[in-house]
Amino acid sequence: MTDRPSILVPIRVLEGESVPEGVSDLLANTHVVLLGYHVIPEQTAPGQAQMQFEERATNRLDEYEAIFEEAGATVERRLVFTHDGQKTIDRTISEHDCMAVLVPNATGPVEDVLVAVRGTVGVDRLSRVVAGVFGEMDASVTLYHVAETDETDEDVRTLLDGMVDRLGDLGMDAAMIETRVDRDRGPLDAIVETAESFDAVVMGETDPSLSTFVFGMPADQVADRFLGPVLVVQREPASDDSAE
Amino acid sequence: MAEQPVDVEPAGENVAGETPAAEPEAVTDDTTIHDDDVELERTIGLVGGLAIGIGTMIGAGIFVFPGLAAENAGLAATLSFAIGGLVALLVALPTSELATAMPRSGGGYYFISRGMGTAYGAIVGLGLWLGLMFASAFYLVGLGHYASAVFAELGVGLPFSPVVGIGLLFGVALTALSIGGTENTAKIQNVVVGVLLLVLTVFLSYGVLDAVGVFGRGSVPEAFFSRGHFPVLTTAALVFTSYLGFAQVATVAGEIKQPGRNLPLAMVGSVLVVTVFYVVTIFVATSAFGADRLGQFGETAMVEVARDFLGLPGAVAILGAGLLATFSSANASILSASRAVYALSRDALLPRRASEVNLRYGTPHVALLTAGGPILVLVATGQVELLAEVASFLHLIMYGLMCVALIVLRRRSPEWYSPSYRVPGYPVVPVVGALASFGLIAFMQPASIGVGIVVMLVSYLWYRYYARDVTLKGDI
Repeated sequence: MTDRPSILVPIRVLEGESVPEGVSDLLANTHVVLLGYHVIPEQTAPGQAQMQFEERATNRLDEYEAIFEEAGATVERRLVFTHDGQKTIDRTISEHDCMAVLVPNATGPVEDVLVAVRGTVGVDRLSRVVAGVFGEMDASVTLYHVAETDETDEDVRTLLDGMVDRLGDLGMDAAMIETRVDRDRGPLDAIVETAESFDAVVMGETDPSLSTFVFGMPADQVADRFLGPVLVVQREPASDDSAE
Repeated sequence: MAEQPVDVEPAGENVAGETPAAEPEAVTDDTTIHDDDVELERTIGLVGGLAIGIGTMIGAGIFVFPGLAAENAGLAATLSFAIGGLVALLVALPTSELATAMPRSGGGYYFISRGMGTAYGAIVGLGLWLGLMFASAFYLVGLGHYASAVFAELGVGLPFSPVVGIGLLFGVALTALSIGGTENTAKIQNVVVGVLLLVLTVFLSYGVLDAVGVFGRGSVPEAFFSRGHFPVLTTAALVFTSYLGFAQVATVAGEIKQPGRNLPLAMVGSVLVVTVFYVVTIFVATSAFGADRLGQFGETAMVEVARDFLGLPGAVAILGAGLLATFSSANASILSASRAVYALSRDALLPRRASEVNLRYGTPHVALLTAGGPILVLVATGQVELLAEVASFLHLIMYGLMCVALIVLRRRSPEWYSPSYRVPGYPVVPVVGALASFGLIAFMQPASIGVGIVVMLVSYLWYRYYARDVTLKGDI
């Protein structure tokens, strides 16, 4: 079997965010990196917030850790006081080598999963996350690709079949895997619309560009509009990451 | 990711039965790690650090002091600023070493309490807190002068001097803003500092070209030491307030990313940048008008200099820049003062309640109020020079003791002391730094020295009463 993929679950622990229903079952076969974080204004030293809130935050994290462990996941946890939540999340992803980040929305039992496949880049990590999380569940997996105008049907077939094979190699039952292709649509809207009939979404992270700078990351936008849990598979970590 | 162990065990309890908070287990480039997997994120980069240092300093030296300094020392005020910059640099280097060894919140207070013990720490820590209040009050009075100059420019005649009133108003507004505001103030600070440096560079380049006669006027040749030699040193002591900002970088040392690299760069860099700006500013200002007339213009002399060069638009630009600069200096000092309160209450030298975080805004309202309140009283005095000198006095004591702490730590060389940046020219630099810091105090007005000594005495008595059993000294 595959290794348990590490999935980051970031939770604003002191602002009423908690582990929503169904999420612990969703991640039952994974290694959960539970990140409780608290964003404080710049006027406040992180240590100051720590002195006051550490106990309360730790108690909450204890509860959440127990929930995940009960469901069968292995859990590693961090409590971070920060001025910059995004920096904390990014750092935790790279320090703990997380394959994906969960945007925790509530869900019932997960029966079908939509996997948005963008291109050959990242298919390997995407497959490992899908196989690791859903391989032992009885969930049907739909590989979904929005083709661009210059992509031939053959290109798309090769891409999706390749991924089905890869999932098969990782121990998944090919009978549970479907593929689906759409053309001539904005990928973002297409994903959100298609996702409506699914219980969970798995998608890749997009390379930062001008449009992601202006409109935000597509994964975040999907997570905002889709009401169920979204697993955002992270890019392969750069071999040499500088801190600036 | 180099992990640096932290091995200082504070102990004891204060009168209220509070004990110092536990020290973290390790310090990395990105976090301070406490046990139980609790981490404090470091989020301030090099630019942010430089902005804190330069932003705190540049307000005073350029927009408040030129007139006062020229009146006291003539053209030689340039030298006074250079001396101030040199002393600051001599202290900034040892401070950098201490900060890379102990990148924790509280800055100078932290280094001295760990290196030399609680008594020194208390005097410096409480002195730093009060010193920052004096500094804030000084900036606010300067801000008041600039705001009044705006009224004068608009031709609004007021029957009274609005300086103190405006200073008080801004003092209240700043305190309220820091308690209730959750906007990204650091980004604003970076932009403000960038704009200031740009405006000043344009203005000073024009001024220098003008002073050397490119535009056909040339400057009035004037005796360099027109007031004699001694005032150069007293003026240096007065204007030293313009160099207090680099230590504010150290008060947020616990939040600086890659502290081993960014702390020394931010501290030494900001001192070098502002020294150049100060010296050039005074040179340009005194060449434009001569020291006598410059002195008559008082706190807002730079507005007149700009008017002389560039007419009304110049005056307006410098007025705007002056408001911005004094405001950002006051703001940075109030925030640093609140960090100082946090560091003291963490170590049980002040009640734990003092650093309590407001549940609604997430800001340390008690610490900010204990800084903002006394500042208003100080602003009400309206004494620019006294406020500046007391602020300098209290900081200079800390600077001198930081140099001493460095020497003590180097000699004992405890296991936990492993700075990633080591001061060049040891032991000469810290020894000269300490002597220069204490020496500069001797040139202050007796009143400022008196107030400073009273503050130190009260700090010591507070320590004896409140926290005599607390030990903070590292194992050395």
